[in-house]
Amino acid sequence: MLKTTPTTSRSTRMFVVLSSAVGLFAACASVPAPTQDMALSTAAVANAVSAGGPEWAAPEMRAAREKLDRANAAMAAKEYEQARIWAHEAQADAQLAAAKARANKAQKAADVMQEDSRVLAEELDRKSKAIPTTTPRN
Amino acid sequence: MSMPRTFSTRWTFTAIAVAAFVSACASVPADNVALEEARSNYNGARNNPRTAAAAPAEMKAAEAALQAANDAWTRRDSVAEVNHLAYVAKQRVAIAQETGRQKSAEADAAGATVTRDKMRLEARTNEADDAQRRAALSQQSAAAAQRQSEAAQLSAANSQRQSEAATRAAMASQQQSVASQQQASDAEMRSRQLEAQLKELDAKKTDRGLVITLGDVLFDTNKSDLKPGAQRSVDRLVVFLKQYPQRKAVIEGFTDNVGNNSSNQALSGRRADAVRMALLGAGVAGERVAAQGYGESFPVAGNDSAGGRQANRRVEIIVSDDSGNIGAR
Repeated sequence: MLKTTPTTSRSTRMFVVLSSAVGLFAACASVPAPTQDMALSTAAVANAVSAGGPEWAAPEMRAAREKLDRANAAMAAKEYEQARIWAHEAQADAQLAAAKARANKAQKAADVMQEDSRVLAEELDRKSKAIPTTTPRN
Repeated sequence: MSMPRTFSTRWTFTAIAVAAFVSACASVPADNVALEEARSNYNGARNNPRTAAAAPAEMKAAEAALQAANDAWTRRDSVAEVNHLAYVAKQRVAIAQETGRQKSAEADAAGATVTRDKMRLEARTNEADDAQRRAALSQQSAAAAQRQSEAAQLSAANSQRQSEAATRAAMASQQQSVASQQQASDAEMRSRQLEAQLKELDAKKTDRGLVITLGDVLFDTNKSDLKPGAQRSVDRLVVFLKQYPQRKAVIEGFTDNVGNNSSNQALSGRRADAVRMALLGAGVAGERVAAQGYGESFPVAGNDSAGGRQANRRVEIIVSDDSGNIGAR
């Protein structure tokens, strides 16, 4: 798989290349514990709950909690890379749950408001028809 | 380390290729579905003004996440890593979309509030206008009613005035009729009075006018001053002449044939004058009364008897008509 050249001077360089490749492999395996990501995700899920996520964005909220659980499990198993991934996704899901909850609540409020306006308009219309605008007779 | 340029280039390329291969950790698929989806979603959000304009910070975060996924893809990172980053990017796009939806819903709510406030205001304005119109109407009708009542009052006053006028007219006509009745009765009374008075005066209607004869009882023989008893006859005559101021009187004296003619003439003249002076003394104007003596002339009876001579010794008072004319003897 490696490209090699038959010169000795090149073997030195080959070593450098190989060692760097090994270094890269090592990077894949040894990952520091994503404690910051975990903290951010936990905070994001809490924020989503307080934003009404369980009520207004149930699927996203469920996904966020599930992923946070998995992240925690991965942390416990010291599978940090996997923990980072779950934590990151849980954060995104939690933030989406919060955003969706806020949007749904705003939408609901707007709908109520518009319905109110419609009802009010209807009522006023009926009222204005009930009281005919009398023009002075001469 | 010094080496020829051709070698350096080649080795650099080799190193990059190796690094890329190694960093991929596993076999790289030709295409990544999750990344494609994330890109597509991002482009859709970027082209939607309700998202791109309403959630710029979230769009920036989505763009960064997508960039990271793209970089991982370009770096040929593991499929799991690319999928993970693509998923995060997709979620970030969704967050931006939700934030945009929230913003536009909030704008709708604000718009609805404004609309509702405007409607309420309009309704209140209409109500106020209506109330004002109704007030103006009622004011107008009140004014009309007042005008009507004023007119009614006026016409009532008019009719009262008219009725008063009618009453006055009726009263006037009554008065008139009373007056004319009065006049009629006055005239009648006066003519009756006149008749009575004339009767009292023993007046006779002749061609020359009314003739009143005073007998010789008023004077002593050969005397020309009126006896006290004559005063009553004179008073009656005065009353009559004062009552008919337009009438005039001629007083004529006569004697019998005893004594001589000239003394009889003088005596008859003095006697007529005496009566005239009595009338003037009672207030009758002198120009209304003339006196004339005729002596023995115009006897009314024969002088051959005492009764005849007594009848001839007389004073006649001829009263004119209302125009003051007395026929000549």
